[in-house]
Amino acid sequence: MLEFLIRRVAISIVTLIVISVVVFTGVRMIPGDPARVMAGTDADAAGLEEIRAKYGLNDPIPVQYLRWAALAARGDLGRSIRTRDPVITTVAKKLPITVELACLAVLIALAIAIPAGVLAAVRRNTVWDVLASSASLCGVSVPNFWLGIMLILFFSVRLGWLPASGFVSFWESPTANLQRMVMPAFVLGTALAAVLMRQTRNSMIGVLSADYIRTAYSKGLAGRAVIFRHAIRNSLIPVVTILGLQAGALMSGAVVTEQIFVVPGFGRLIVEAVFTRDYPVVQGVVLITASSYVLINLLVDASYSLLDPRIRIGGNP
Amino acid sequence: MSPTSAAAGVLVAAAGAAPAGRLRRGWRRVLRRPASVVGGVIVLLFIVLAIGAPWIARTDPVGTDWSQIRKAPSWTHPFGTDDLGRDNFARVVWGSRISMQAGVFSILLAIAVGVPLGLVAGYYRGALDQVLMRLTDAWLAFPFLILAIGLVTIMGPSLTNATIAIGLGATPTYIRLTRGLVLSTAAELGAGDLRLMARHILPNIVSSLLVQATVSIPIAIIAEAVLSFLGLGVQPPAPSWGTMLNAAQQFLESAPWMAWWPGLAIFSLTLSFNLAGDGLRDLLDPKDY
Repeated sequence: MLEFLIRRVAISIVTLIVISVVVFTGVRMIPGDPARVMAGTDADAAGLEEIRAKYGLNDPIPVQYLRWAALAARGDLGRSIRTRDPVITTVAKKLPITVELACLAVLIALAIAIPAGVLAAVRRNTVWDVLASSASLCGVSVPNFWLGIMLILFFSVRLGWLPASGFVSFWESPTANLQRMVMPAFVLGTALAAVLMRQTRNSMIGVLSADYIRTAYSKGLAGRAVIFRHAIRNSLIPVVTILGLQAGALMSGAVVTEQIFVVPGFGRLIVEAVFTRDYPVVQGVVLITASSYVLINLLVDASYSLLDPRIRIGGNP
Repeated sequence: MSPTSAAAGVLVAAAGAAPAGRLRRGWRRVLRRPASVVGGVIVLLFIVLAIGAPWIARTDPVGTDWSQIRKAPSWTHPFGTDDLGRDNFARVVWGSRISMQAGVFSILLAIAVGVPLGLVAGYYRGALDQVLMRLTDAWLAFPFLILAIGLVTIMGPSLTNATIAIGLGATPTYIRLTRGLVLSTAAELGAGDLRLMARHILPNIVSSLLVQATVSIPIAIIAEAVLSFLGLGVQPPAPSWGTMLNAAQQFLESAPWMAWWPGLAIFSLTLSFNLAGDGLRDLLDPKDY
C-alpha cells in the first residue's frame, strides 16, 4: 500500500513539473516581447523593467523557468494586466463560487444517477432499464450550453420562476443564492449524471452476480436488505474513481455554464482573461486547473486503495 | 479530403480487416438494435447535408436582409430568420459542414499524432515509454476545454486553430489506446517481431480506432460548438451552430427559434453518432473471435 502511494505521489510530482513546463512555454510562445505580454500593452518603461527584473527575462530560458516556477510554487503568479491585482487573489475570490457550483452539480448528479443506475441494474432488461439508459445517452449527447439556454427560455422567460442569470453570495441570502445556482448546477450535473448512471448500472450488475450476494440471498435476507446493505455499497467504489476522472469535465463544463448564467466564477474569469489578453491570469488559471486535476486524482486513487484493500497497483496506469 | 471520403476510407479498411463471417454475425446483431441503424442513417443524412449544402440551402447563409429581421418560422424561412435577417435554415445546413469538418478532422489529427506515438511507446517500452506516458499524464491533466482555450489564446481564434486544439486535446486517448493494444498483442505473441506484430496489431487497431472515433467525434463536434459559442472558434459571420447559439442568447424573449434549431442540430447529430457508435461496437467487437 505504502509503496503504491509513494509511486503514485512520485508520478504526480513529475506530472506537475511537466505541466508547469508546458504552461511556462505556452506563454513564451505568444509572439512579441515576453515582458510586454506579461505587463500588457499599456505598461510604461518602468513597468516593463520591473517585470524583466522579477522574472530575469535576460537570463537563459531554463534559469527563467526555475525562477518563475519558484515564484509560482510560493503562490506568486504575477499580476492581472487588467486589474493589477495579484492573480492568486483574483483566483481566490472566484474559486469558492465555482466550487459551490461544482459541489451542487455533483450532488444533483449523484441524486439522479445512483437511484436510476441501481433501478436499471435491479430491473435489468425491463422498461425501467431502457428508460434509464436512454436518458443517460441523451444526457451525454445534449450540449450543456444549449440545455442551459433552453432552461432559461422555459423557466425564466416563459414561466418566470427562476432568475436567468446573476449571482448572490450564499452568506448574503441562501435562498437567492440557490435560486440562481439551481439551473447552472443542473446543467453542469447532467452529463456527469449520465456517466455516473451508466457506471452505477454496470458495477451494480457485476456486484449482483457476485458470490457474496448469492450467499446473502441464500441465508434468507430480504431483497431490499441485500441491495441496500451489501450491493450498493460495493458497487459505488468504481463510481468514486469516475467522479475523480470527471473532475476535468466538470471544470470545462463550469467555463461554459458560468458564461451562460453570468456566474462570476473561475470559468468566467478565464474567458474574460482570454478576450482581454490578460495572459498572467490565463497562465495562472490553466496552471491551477491542471494541478488541481492531478491532486484530485491523487486523492481519489489514495482513497480508492484505502476503500478497497484488494487494490495493489504496481503497473502503469 | 472530405469528411465522407475519410469515413468511407476507414470503413473500407475496417471491413477489410474483419473476417466476413464475423462481419455477418455482427451485422445481424446490429439489425437487432434498430436505434443504432436509425442513428447511422441520421449521421449519413448530416454527411449529405454537409456535402450538398450549396444545393440544399438555396439562400445565402451570410446574406443579411434588413426587412426580414427575427421573423418567426414560415414557408419562406422554415427555421425563421436571425437578428440580421439571415435565413436560419441555410445557416443550420451550412453549419453542418463546419461541425463535420471540425469533428472529423480534429479526430484524424488525434489519430495521426496519437497512433504513431502509442506504437513507439508500446513497442520500444523502457525509458522512451516512461517519458511518453508521463507526458501523456500531464497532457490529460489539462481539462479538454481549458487546454483548447489555452491553445487558441496562443494561436488566435479560427476554425483551423479550434480544430487543431480539439485534435491535440483528444490525442492522449489515442496514444494510450494504441499503446495498450500493442502491449496486449506483444504479450500474446510473446515476442517483439515488428512484422508479425504489425500483422496482428493493425486489424485490431483499425476496428478499435473506428469505435473510439465514434465516441470522440461527437465530443469534438460539441467542443467546436462550445469554442465558437465562446467566440474562440469560428468567427462571425460564418455559420457555425455555436456562433448561432451565441447570437440567439440575446434574443430569447423575442426570437426563441434562433436557439431551437442550431441546438437541436448539435443534439441530434451527437446523439446519432453515439447510437451508431454503439452499433459499430457490436459490429466490430474485438472480443468476438
